[in-house]
Amino acid sequence: MPSHFKLTAAAALILAITGTSLAAVIPPGTQLHPSQTFVRSNGSEPESMDPAVAETVPANQIMRDLFEGLTATDTTGKTVPGVAESWKQTNPTTWVFKLRTNAKFSNGDPITAEDFVYGIRRFVDPKTASPYAATFGVFLLNGLEVAQGKKPPSEVGVKALDKYTLEIKTQDPIAFMPELVANTQLGPVHKATVEKWGKEWVKPGHMVGNGAFVLKDWQVNNRIVVEKNPQYWDAANVQLTKVTYLPIEDQFADIKLWESGETDYVYQMPPGVFDKYKAQYPKELRNQAIIGLRYYDFQTKDPVFKDVRVRKALSMVIDRDILSKRVTADGQPPSYSLIVPGVVGADPTPYEWATWPMDKKVAEAKKLLEQAGVKPGTKYTFSYNTSEYHKKMAVFVASEWKTKLGIIMETEAMEFKVLAKKRHDGAFQLARNGWLADYNDATTFLALVRCDSDQNTNFYCDREAEALIQKGTQSSDPIKRKALLTEASKKIMDGYPIIPMVQYSLPRLIKSYVGGYSELNPQDHYRSKDFYIIKH
Amino acid sequence: MWAYTLRRILSAIPTVFVVITVCYLLLHATPGGPFDSDRKVSEAVLANLQAKYHLDLPLWQQYLLYLKGLLQGDLGASFRYADWSVNDLVAKALPVSLSIGGAAMLLSIVIGVSLGIMAALRQNSVIDHFVMLLGNVGSAVPSFVLGPVMIIVFAIGLQWLPAGGWHDFEVRFMILPIALLTVINVATIGRVMRGSLIEVMHSGFIRTARAKGLPTRIVVLRHALKPALLPVVSVLGPLAISSITAALVTETVFSLPGLGKLIVNGAGNRDYTLVLGLVVLITLLTVTLNLLVDLAYAWLDPKIRY
Repeated sequence: MPSHFKLTAAAALILAITGTSLAAVIPPGTQLHPSQTFVRSNGSEPESMDPAVAETVPANQIMRDLFEGLTATDTTGKTVPGVAESWKQTNPTTWVFKLRTNAKFSNGDPITAEDFVYGIRRFVDPKTASPYAATFGVFLLNGLEVAQGKKPPSEVGVKALDKYTLEIKTQDPIAFMPELVANTQLGPVHKATVEKWGKEWVKPGHMVGNGAFVLKDWQVNNRIVVEKNPQYWDAANVQLTKVTYLPIEDQFADIKLWESGETDYVYQMPPGVFDKYKAQYPKELRNQAIIGLRYYDFQTKDPVFKDVRVRKALSMVIDRDILSKRVTADGQPPSYSLIVPGVVGADPTPYEWATWPMDKKVAEAKKLLEQAGVKPGTKYTFSYNTSEYHKKMAVFVASEWKTKLGIIMETEAMEFKVLAKKRHDGAFQLARNGWLADYNDATTFLALVRCDSDQNTNFYCDREAEALIQKGTQSSDPIKRKALLTEASKKIMDGYPIIPMVQYSLPRLIKSYVGGYSELNPQDHYRSKDFYIIKH
Repeated sequence: MWAYTLRRILSAIPTVFVVITVCYLLLHATPGGPFDSDRKVSEAVLANLQAKYHLDLPLWQQYLLYLKGLLQGDLGASFRYADWSVNDLVAKALPVSLSIGGAAMLLSIVIGVSLGIMAALRQNSVIDHFVMLLGNVGSAVPSFVLGPVMIIVFAIGLQWLPAGGWHDFEVRFMILPIALLTVINVATIGRVMRGSLIEVMHSGFIRTARAKGLPTRIVVLRHALKPALLPVVSVLGPLAISSITAALVTETVFSLPGLGKLIVNGAGNRDYTLVLGLVVLITLLTVTLNLLVDLAYAWLDPKIRY
């Protein structure tokens, strides 16, 4: 065992032991309201309430209340014990989780290591058809092969060593395993319930979960109500007795419901109203940057974008400060890097020209275009999915290119599904894109620009950088790994496969009597367990 | 009359069939499929998803399977709402749309016809100008403007009513959406009623009735109203359908779990079965309402015989 590995294992153990501040941290002197009910807007109707199938942010938000993995994320984004009370990395590719013996399903059945084995096998089984099967499966031994149907689910690297000890074997050394298993996709599933009800097991009255809340009511496109789960191992520290999720897609309707007092929590503010509401509700408007990136893809295989000088020139002249302050104007920080601040496993690598004065950038960009033989008046087509937000950004970019370089950007708006297909097929020149981290590690962002990655829609491939990433992910030394992944990220970004624009942030209105929201949770993985209602 | 009704019902079958077929082909010809998303799923997962929804079969086989299910009353499984069948979704959304749309329709007819009559009988009076103004406002101001204005006034300002949402047919949640749809429908009905009654009041048989010395009330109610209602009845069919289904905006503005929301989400997410199910439902509603309108013609106009 190399010395750096000992360090990781020790750190993990310490984390497990010290991470015992489990539930909502209520400041001393806070008086709780007699009625602990919370109504939150949740964006849209979840596509499924099956933890293995849930894909979107709204669905996973509810999953974190109804289910709990080996670990969980607290309000500040820190990984804390969930069903597992401690864990350690016994060798570079093996993690052992000790489950607490008092963890129970909502029907009172104890949770054992076998329930995790069943849940994880079911999750990667192609029969379940989980959209995340390959995304998370790739980290488990044989996980990708199982997800691809090349090996049976029983081959996935997860084993019950005894009733309360679970072993997870990984493909490469995975330092962020404790963070990864906070995802409820990798959580326990009550086998008897799934076998009894089949697809109907997720309905109220049937569902057996293990989160701090249980499903009480589900009216499609109207409301989902969850209530405190008395069987939950940490129920004594759960304040809320009832949480109502409302699937409100219209962002203006969302704000109006909040203003009229129907809801306590706005899912996300629409563009263009940030300043107005900031002035009106300075205390209630909360905004936090999250680890996600808004970016534009170059179709690098298209002859017009084959030349890196063209891609670089176009990226250089977009003034991200104006974009962030005046165009999107909702507190999204400008970005000049693939890796955004807050991501673990690699450092941001902003371009050195990011701090140049604009005149210098424009002069350099003009020179690059001239060298590449691109003349003013050249036209490119930009594809985006119809949305006021994306349109605003596109209009700004088009004007930047037109006024500074004489380049003409023609825009075509389309439905999201059409854009998604075009991007994956490479049937575009420039396309809007965005990515929210699936887990907090640099590899989730690198997947957007790696060779042979399903998520790479710019078709860029740098074999040398790929080798660095391979070397990094196989290393069990976190410092070396971070250095290699940072270097790879810089190398790829110097090839300009994408134009980073702004980092995502989540501006939302939250009633001042809602406690437990920290603005420090980089993935917006809040659990209702950590919220409470202050006397008002 | 009965033979006519039966004939109409029978002739509706090919109509419905053609609508389904055309819609089926159009849906499948639309670029982008139900499983296209930011995150590209692996080939094996995609294959399983496609097998689950029979998308791995040739299009004609999928179509026949769909028709077979349809004949048994099974609208299939939804793509967008993976845990629900289309039957479940429609069964939950239809009562919401029917109650909002139906109540709005009834109110619009009563208010629209009454205002139209008053305006026609007192041409160029204050009430006439009011009806015309209402007609213009209702037609010119889109519901996505009028709706939020109503919310700002009645929900946020006066705090009389909730800004939206749905609580098991609780009346206070239904008032604003019904009011919005009613204002829009009253605008159309009122204007049509006014124009039509003015025209009828100038016709020969009304002059005769007046010459007989009948009071205006009798002239209007017994003689003029029925023929004047004909154009109103003509617009009722499309209005009723739009109150139930094209209330997309109303449902979005007030966050109602009705059919409109399903249509929007179904189409945007390439939920083939959900969209087709709703098309079948809307086609049946349209055919039925058109039949009712035609039967109402016969009742209103003795010259029309089936």
